[in-house]
Amino acid sequence: MEKLLVFVYSIGILIRIYLSFSDFSTSIADRVEVSTPLNSWKRVIEGVSLYNENLNPYDGDLFHETPLALVFFSNLTSTFSDFYVSLVFIMCDLMTAFVLYYTSKIYTENLLEKQTKRKHVYYKEFNKLLIPDDFSVINPFYVCSVYMLNPYTVFSCIARTTTVFNNLFLAICLYSMVKRHRLLGCLSLVLASLPTFYTFGLIAPLMLSCVPTDSKKKTGSFIFTFLICGAISCMLLYLCYTIMNDWAFLDSVYGFILNVRDLKPNIGLFWYFFTEMFEHFRALFVCAFQLNASVLYVIPLSIRLRRDPLLLATSLLTLTAVFKSYPSIGDVGFYLSLLPIHRHLFYFMQQAFIVSCFFVGCTVFAPTVWHLWIYSRSANANFYFGVTLAFATTQIFLITDLLFAYIKREFALKHGMKRMINGKEARLMLD
Amino acid sequence: MVLVYKMSTKSLWLLFIFIGSSYSETYSEELFIKPLATGYVYSFFQFTVIREDDSFKHSTLFPHSLGDIIDRFHVAELNVDLTSGLWKHKSWGYPAVDAPSGAEISARFHNDTQDIDKHWYGLTNALSGLLCTSLNFINSANSYESSADRVYRYSNLPRENVCTENLTPWKKLLPCDSTRGLSSLLNSGRVHNANYHSLGIHFRPLCNAGKCKYELRQTVSLVYDSIFISFNNNYDWSLRKMFGTGLFKTCPLADYSKIYLDTSSNSSVPYLISQEPDYVLKNNIAVYNLNGIFHLSAIVPRPKIVVSELRPLLYTDRFITGFGQEYGGLVTRIYNDHKSAIIATVIENIPWFLPIYYHTLKVTSNGIRVIPKALIYKPGKGRVRIYYLEIVLELAPRSVTEISVQFDYVFLKWQEYPPDANHGFYIGSAIVKATIPRNATSLTFDKSLIIDNLNSTGDDYLICLKTENFIITLPTPDFSMPYNVICLACTVVALAFGPIHNITTKRLKLTTAKYVPGLASVAQKLYVLMETIFMLKTKKTGKPTPVKVFTPEELSYHPTLGHVSEEFMKNKGN
Repeated sequence: MEKLLVFVYSIGILIRIYLSFSDFSTSIADRVEVSTPLNSWKRVIEGVSLYNENLNPYDGDLFHETPLALVFFSNLTSTFSDFYVSLVFIMCDLMTAFVLYYTSKIYTENLLEKQTKRKHVYYKEFNKLLIPDDFSVINPFYVCSVYMLNPYTVFSCIARTTTVFNNLFLAICLYSMVKRHRLLGCLSLVLASLPTFYTFGLIAPLMLSCVPTDSKKKTGSFIFTFLICGAISCMLLYLCYTIMNDWAFLDSVYGFILNVRDLKPNIGLFWYFFTEMFEHFRALFVCAFQLNASVLYVIPLSIRLRRDPLLLATSLLTLTAVFKSYPSIGDVGFYLSLLPIHRHLFYFMQQAFIVSCFFVGCTVFAPTVWHLWIYSRSANANFYFGVTLAFATTQIFLITDLLFAYIKREFALKHGMKRMINGKEARLMLD
Repeated sequence: MVLVYKMSTKSLWLLFIFIGSSYSETYSEELFIKPLATGYVYSFFQFTVIREDDSFKHSTLFPHSLGDIIDRFHVAELNVDLTSGLWKHKSWGYPAVDAPSGAEISARFHNDTQDIDKHWYGLTNALSGLLCTSLNFINSANSYESSADRVYRYSNLPRENVCTENLTPWKKLLPCDSTRGLSSLLNSGRVHNANYHSLGIHFRPLCNAGKCKYELRQTVSLVYDSIFISFNNNYDWSLRKMFGTGLFKTCPLADYSKIYLDTSSNSSVPYLISQEPDYVLKNNIAVYNLNGIFHLSAIVPRPKIVVSELRPLLYTDRFITGFGQEYGGLVTRIYNDHKSAIIATVIENIPWFLPIYYHTLKVTSNGIRVIPKALIYKPGKGRVRIYYLEIVLELAPRSVTEISVQFDYVFLKWQEYPPDANHGFYIGSAIVKATIPRNATSLTFDKSLIIDNLNSTGDDYLICLKTENFIITLPTPDFSMPYNVICLACTVVALAFGPIHNITTKRLKLTTAKYVPGLASVAQKLYVLMETIFMLKTKKTGKPTPVKVFTPEELSYHPTLGHVSEEFMKNKGN
């Protein structure tokens, strides 16, 4: 297994290095699916060059990273040449894969441990549902290889999108969830959600995973985690303020995300929706869509999935990747690589085939209709909108299927696999 | 004063004699005609009023309506140009007033003016009413203030169509209207037939040792194709052919009425002029004094080769690069044909829907990258502010300097597109300012009267070139789709909301009922409801019980039979 892992790793590195230094890198970076106004490297460079000219990059309309990122990228580009900057991105991706590997490993081991404790409760018939021991070896390998070889993450890394750094912080956050490491979790969570703020919803699984076994201290622990996150956020925002000496960046970063000022197409739903929106309804729908993307699902899902914080994190990440205002395939690639962690649920998933077909179809169709619309001008915006609709629907099918699989497994563990009532065939329904 | 306006010009003239001493205003009208290369004829009209009084409350010759606006909005200097057509610097040399296609307006306010923007928008709105133009569309997103000058504002509207409705109010500002004098030549039918025409209003103070005069110049530039206007397919031209009428009466209010004819091209293509000039200035400018009926025509032999004039020292080019509607580049080229270096200032004002990347800005001279002497960049902001770029360059002798920058095509909201969205968006011209040495082709127009300009002998003079406009087609959405898009996108949101709502609020239960999709399930439920009601009424027993939903807790698990209810087990046991 180790050999295989090394093999996958090296293949991933070679692909990234080859593509980064080939001519494909610019055409990949120019793709709307890969680079959005929020994460594109071109805009980072623009911001950095304005910053180095002593112009405020937040005066303009092109730069939307946080001042912390601005200083970081300014130092990065001034100390390293272009070649090494690419290597930094590749290194980050490797680290993400590595962290995800250990996350998955620890998570699966924890699951197995819990299972052996409760084994005597289960019926013999349920053996099929039990997680075999080899999952703790195979799952991490799958997670790692999905992250290393998934074209979505590969493209995102080659295009040098800042999503790469975001993914690294998210991976560390997930790792500290399974490790129950509160401070590291909070820090990485804040760092990951500072540029986009959508992922701040992950505070719920972080709270849940950091609770002590003693149930009396539960509320205190929740509040403590929340306060730490809040304190770190405030500190970092203040640090941003001291860098720029004014609060204008808040509007340029968060105002830009919330108000959806750039309507350039991406794989999300916002762009065409707000292109075609009637002006007097705009505020209403902006609020509705932003709530839907950020906080709507956090509380209900964390109540339902309170026993499995990592599944909660996965589903929240998926939902934000579908519904946020500037999603990119880097986000999609990240949550896709989390799926093998939940391999014990795959048995109950029903739409894997349709979903995978649609993923492939959309990935092929999106660049095609984009070319037809923008370059050969024989198609129009509706074509691309259709593809993004299909892509969003696919992802929604995937995540709802996963959630259904979870509750079905939960049901089956408690009440058996057979769906029969009094010897007659029955079916499961939500009521 | 309203009364005065309603009087005939004759009585106005009489009035002028009586009160002329109290308001020292002078009025002069001039026409400058210059045959250009390739058979074009350039005629430049200038009507100048100069007054000494700085208050515009009372005036005899100065247009009262304009004076009011100037007073009210604290305007110190004003330039308005309404142009249609493109001036070809490369073959025509420099015009008297360089104006880009469309409407262009710049103003300088008094230094002590507070809230300049308010005055600026007030001024543009007032002028739009005065001149029937769309200057009221000027807002912060298409005007800029100069980097050096707080009280200066500039804007251009490249999409503006200049037509008769602008000429008529413009002519009303003249003391003699269009009834007498040179302005009677300006027939709207002929003016708008020209290959290039430009109307201008230029107001400025002329200060000398603390004493100021105020000058208002109304200008018209017209370029006619002499082949087009002559019916015999030759290069002959005359006042009647160009303007459709001859000159019959001079304007009695004018102190000065003259026509100048530039005969410098006579050396390459000699032509015959119908009238001997009153005198000749600097060997090549024929001057005619106007007093009564006047006619001027020229017979031009068909040239074997169309000889181009001396090229101007400095000219520009501007175009966009790239294909598709995603990424593009904007290139401005400045050609310096002079044998020594020239310092030039280039001002690019790029609208917010063409966001430029500052880091892609590249200045090359003959293909070699150069560093500009100074550079001011103000990034734009969507729907609020333009991208302003000012570059000071030293143009190497006999060189082509290229300024290129890359931009993105922006996707706008559907209501922000103009009515004919696929026609594209007009992008206004860049401005190139430079001080160049005087040579044979140069005509300077920095003095009040054309005659003074023709006489002036300074060494260097300032030119201000305006580059071409261009049209850019931004990617468009489907304008007929708003309802569909809203419905479809909301459906996708509902697709996620529905199942997640179910998962988080409901519990899994077992039922023996068959799965019935869609509306049929509603019908089934109704049927079950009806059945129960019916059963309650008749109180019949022994009928099969309706479909039941079980929560798993009610049931016990049986390894072969699956879930079993207690009732069932009891019956079975019995």
